[in-house]
This record gives sequence, structure tokens and C-alpha cells, in this order.
Amino acid sequence: MLDYVSLEADLDEEERMIRDTAREFVEERIKPDIGEHYEAGTFPEELIPEMGELGFYAPNLEGEEYDLLGVSETAYGLLMQELEAGDAGIRSMASVQGALVMYPIHAFGSDDQKAEWLPRLARGEAVGCFGLTEPEHGSNPSAMETRAERDGDEYVLNGSKTWITNSPIADVAVVWGRDTSAEDNPVRGFLVETDRDGVSTNKIDDKLSMRASVTGEIGLSNVTVPEENVLPGVEGMKGPLSCLTQARFGIAWGAVGAARDCFETARQYATDREQFGGPIARFQIQQQKLAEMATQITTAQLLAYRLAELKERGDLRPQHVSMAKRNNVRMARDQARIAREMLGGNGITTDYSPMRHMSNLETVYTYEGTHDIHTLVLGQDLTGIAAFEG
Amino acid sequence: MKVLVTVKEVAEVEDDFEIDGTGVDDRYLEYDLNEWDDYAVEEAVQLQEAGDDIEVVSVTIGPERAEETIRMALAKGVDRAIRVWDDALDQDLLDTATKARVFRAVVEEEEPDLILTGVQAGDDAFGATGVALAESVGQEWAAVVNQLDIDHLLAENVARVHRELEGGVEELTDVELPAVLTIQTGINEPRYASLRGIRQAQSKEIAPKTLADLGLEAGDVESSLFLTEMYEPESESDATLFEGSAEETAAELASVLREKGVGAE
Repeated sequence: MLDYVSLEADLDEEERMIRDTAREFVEERIKPDIGEHYEAGTFPEELIPEMGELGFYAPNLEGEEYDLLGVSETAYGLLMQELEAGDAGIRSMASVQGALVMYPIHAFGSDDQKAEWLPRLARGEAVGCFGLTEPEHGSNPSAMETRAERDGDEYVLNGSKTWITNSPIADVAVVWGRDTSAEDNPVRGFLVETDRDGVSTNKIDDKLSMRASVTGEIGLSNVTVPEENVLPGVEGMKGPLSCLTQARFGIAWGAVGAARDCFETARQYATDREQFGGPIARFQIQQQKLAEMATQITTAQLLAYRLAELKERGDLRPQHVSMAKRNNVRMARDQARIAREMLGGNGITTDYSPMRHMSNLETVYTYEGTHDIHTLVLGQDLTGIAAFEG
Repeated sequence: MKVLVTVKEVAEVEDDFEIDGTGVDDRYLEYDLNEWDDYAVEEAVQLQEAGDDIEVVSVTIGPERAEETIRMALAKGVDRAIRVWDDALDQDLLDTATKARVFRAVVEEEEPDLILTGVQAGDDAFGATGVALAESVGQEWAAVVNQLDIDHLLAENVARVHRELEGGVEELTDVELPAVLTIQTGINEPRYASLRGIRQAQSKEIAPKTLADLGLEAGDVESSLFLTEMYEPESESDATLFEGSAEETAAELASVLREKGVGAE
């Protein structure tokens, strides 16, 4: 795959091996069937335990006692990149499980919560989901309406969450809601097992994007959870927002993977496809597209690598991640469309990946902070003035 | 019990390539574990997982570059590795007898109960190293093994194997250990290296050995085969594509086969 300025040559051996094992898995286990899953609107659920066995969920978290490995942030990024070269739906499943479910339990959970959930989630024996977005509260999650009311040593939860990746197949949901029994109604995180009375997880059908991924709602109607299910280590919006920073880091890498797969598909096609007596790759107009695509991918890749360095040494700010998510996903979305163009009519079928990536990237462009909101996050960081507050 | 698996890093050639002297230009090569050896490694690791106290050791003849490929085998469950290299081994082509002499020295040192090799290597495709090694160390052998009864082997110290012969015929044979089996693709489903395995592999040993370490000299590895020329053969293709229902195409195929004199009337 395109690595124009040889960034992968500087990886250490463990990182290269993780890239290789992920690439091989994607090549053999995802690519052959993903077009059919996409068309059918199904997620290849048999891959969930397989990916767990391989250590694909949150391998960057530390903690041998919980079956966690603590690989480098670069290795984690490479893994997300390779998975999304297969399909954004597969990467999203792994992102949610690792960055949005295991991460908050790891960072904010009690020892009991960690012991109960982390090993099972790591192995893919349990599936998790993350409930933040609500039907009326997307870009402004702090206005959430989901409520938790203390009742003795239990909490009673009410509310509804939507656009929840994995919810219909999840065993546990990390639900964010306001604790109305505490002063100032702080946002708290609750571990809600999906088999509790009053929990519904309806599937959202009719998606035209991210079709090989299960998306649903979480309905909470007088759901009782014991107070041991509250994440003890965090209060306020920094809880969910810190999870999103983790997941967006993976997205910034994943988008590079999707774009690289588009590029390689287009390059191969252009050199194979003959018109007017020779391969279409000999035409300047195709070469210009490939040159631009390769340049855009390479600059996005550089940003992803730099992000990993900053994250590794603890200097990563959420605004850095906003810039990378914003840039890299836009890049991938634009370049996927160019790749599709180069494939002509063949490009609109499930036989080729670019249009599937292109359509997936509409979701990626919008979820985990829309492109426009990340623009405003950067605007605030650069000017000191928040455009999205009153 | 100790199982020795011989592995080789092979060069895989891209679809389009250029020839440079007696080889394919390096720019068109990618290095990976020989496909057959991947199955041999998997079989050894399955044996190790099924039994108690089974050590799996891999041995390769190759330069330092090969270590990453060997490390992948360690990540899949091989316990430790030996890498033999020497300036005298840096030849265009090592013939089977030479490789067997090097491996024999390792076998004499390690004294394995079972030796697994791939049937052949994807690059030179001699398909003879395993059998030559068996001959050289005076052990029983079975070539092109596509099924091994692991339980029987652990209980009886006998390798009960299916061997693939020409024309779809299979031979069922019992081979007493110590023995050499050459492993065919499809005998199992090689695993992917897990991230945990990759982490563990970082601290497993790859012991480098020179010829002197094995009690050999440069004269012992003088290959009697060498490459004289490399060229692309002229290719001719004459393909007929049948279109239509299964019935129609089957009938068309049958008449073509009759025309060409294939099959009994």
C-alpha cells in the first residue's frame, strides 16, 4: 500500500508485525465478503470473537491483569488504518469496543467493573456500545435529557439514545446521563447491561452508508441499575469527551486506510484498463488524479503519525485530534470519490471498494463530531472565542 | 518431546517484474514466510497445544533480514528459533544436499523427536529438502502429508498420516518417530499471529549460528548447482469461454473434450 515517504520503514518490529497481521486478516477475512455484507446491510458477527482472539480491541491500554497489552499508539493507529482499509464498519466496531467502552471502564471504572468487563470485552466474548447522542441532542450532547435518579443504593434511568454503533448486538452499554439526585445534575457514566428490564435496543435500518455495521437506539424506561454500575472516576462532560478523543484518534488513522485502499484500487484499475489502445493510466488526466490522491494521502498520513507521537508522550490535546479527524476524513471522502471516477461504470458496483468507502465516509464525516463542529473547535482554539456557545 | 520445524523466508514476485542477471530485480520482490512452512508451523503448534511439555523449535538458513519472518513464526507459538548464516552460504542457489547438510548439523545438536518441513519452497520449488534431510540423518519419513493424527502421535509415538499421491490417490501410513514429515498446504488452517503472540515473540530467542558453530566448514556448503540463465518463457494462451446455462456449457465442454481426445469414449 502507498507509503510514499516511507513512514512504515521507521516502525519498530512489533509495530510492523501488528500491521502485517492486521493486513493479512483484512485481506483474507474481510475483503472477500464485505461487499455482500454491505449490500445485505449485515455485520459479519463471526469476526467479533476472532478479532478479540487476535487482540484487536484496545490493545493500547495497559493492564496485564485484564488481558491488555499496552502496545504503542502508533501500533494501535496502524491497526485502525488496516481495519478501515477493509471497511469503516469493521473499524467502527473495534473503535467502539476499544475506545468508547473499554477505555472509559479502564480510565474511570472501579476494580470490580474492570475485572468484570475488560477481559471479556478484550476477548470479544462480550460486545459493548456507547450511549451519548440523543434524538434531539447531536452536536450539543451536554444538553442531554437522559436522567438518572437515585433510589436507595440504586439508580433509575430514563431517556433515549440514538445512532449507537453495536447497540442491537451489545451486552453492555456505557450510558451517559445526568444524575438528578446530585447538586448541579452532573453527567455520569453508567454501565447498563442490555438484558435489564426496560432496556430496548432497536436497530436502525434503511442506512445508505456504513451498511456493514449495526446501528441502533438505546431506550431506557425506568431501568434500575445498582450504584456499583456507576463509573466512579469521572463526573461531567469530560467523561464522554475524553472517550471521543480516543476514538477520533483511531478515526484519523482509519480514514488514511480507507483512502489508501481507494488509491490502490484506482491505480491498479488505471494500469489494467485499456482504452484507445492502451492503459488509461497513460493519460495525463488520470495521472493528475493519482498524483493528487497520493499527495493528499501522504500528508494525512504524516498528520496521523505525528498525532501518535504526541499521544505517546502525553502531549496530545483534543484540538489536535479535531484537526486530524477533520482533515483526514475530508481527504478520504474526497479521494474516494476521485477513485470511483477513475473506475468508470465498474466503480458503482460492490465489486470495487471505492464507492463503498465513499459512502461509509459520509457517516465518518458526520459521527464523532461533525466536520463543521470540529471546524468550530479549531476556531475556538485559534481565536479564544467559541462560536457554538449562546 | 521436541519438534523441529524448518522454515524459509522466500521472495515473492509481483505480477509484473523485470529480470536482472540470473534473478528477479529486487524491486519486484517481497519477502515472506514460505507458504508450506506456515502449515508446518501450525501443525507443530497444534501438537504443542495438544500435548504436555512439547517444545517447538524452528530453524532457518538465512541472513539477518529473515529474522522478522522468523519472528512471525515465534508469534504464532514456536518457542525458540535458530538462524544459520555464514558468508559461505550467501550463494545464488543452495542445492538440496547442501541445505540437508546444514540442517543435519542442527538436528544432531537439537535431537528432535519429530521434524516438520514444508513440502516445497515457493521460490526454488525443489520439494526435496525434507526428504534429503531424512535420508541424511537416517530417519523415517513421509512426504506430502495432508493429514496427521495428533492424538495417535502423542499416545503411541507414531505418526499416522495421510499422504497425497498423484491422481487424487491418498496413502495411509504409520511412521515411527523420530521422523521427518513434509507438510502439504491444506492440512490445517494456519492462524494469524495475535497481538499477544507478537508481544511475546519480542522476547523469544533467535539464536544465530555460523557454520563453525555447527562444526561445518565453507567446503561443506559448496553447492553443486548454480544458475546459468533466467528468462521469461514465451507464453501462449488459447482459452475458450462458454456462456449459457450449466446444461448448455457442459454439453459444449463435453464435445470439446471429445474432439481433443480427453477421457474415455
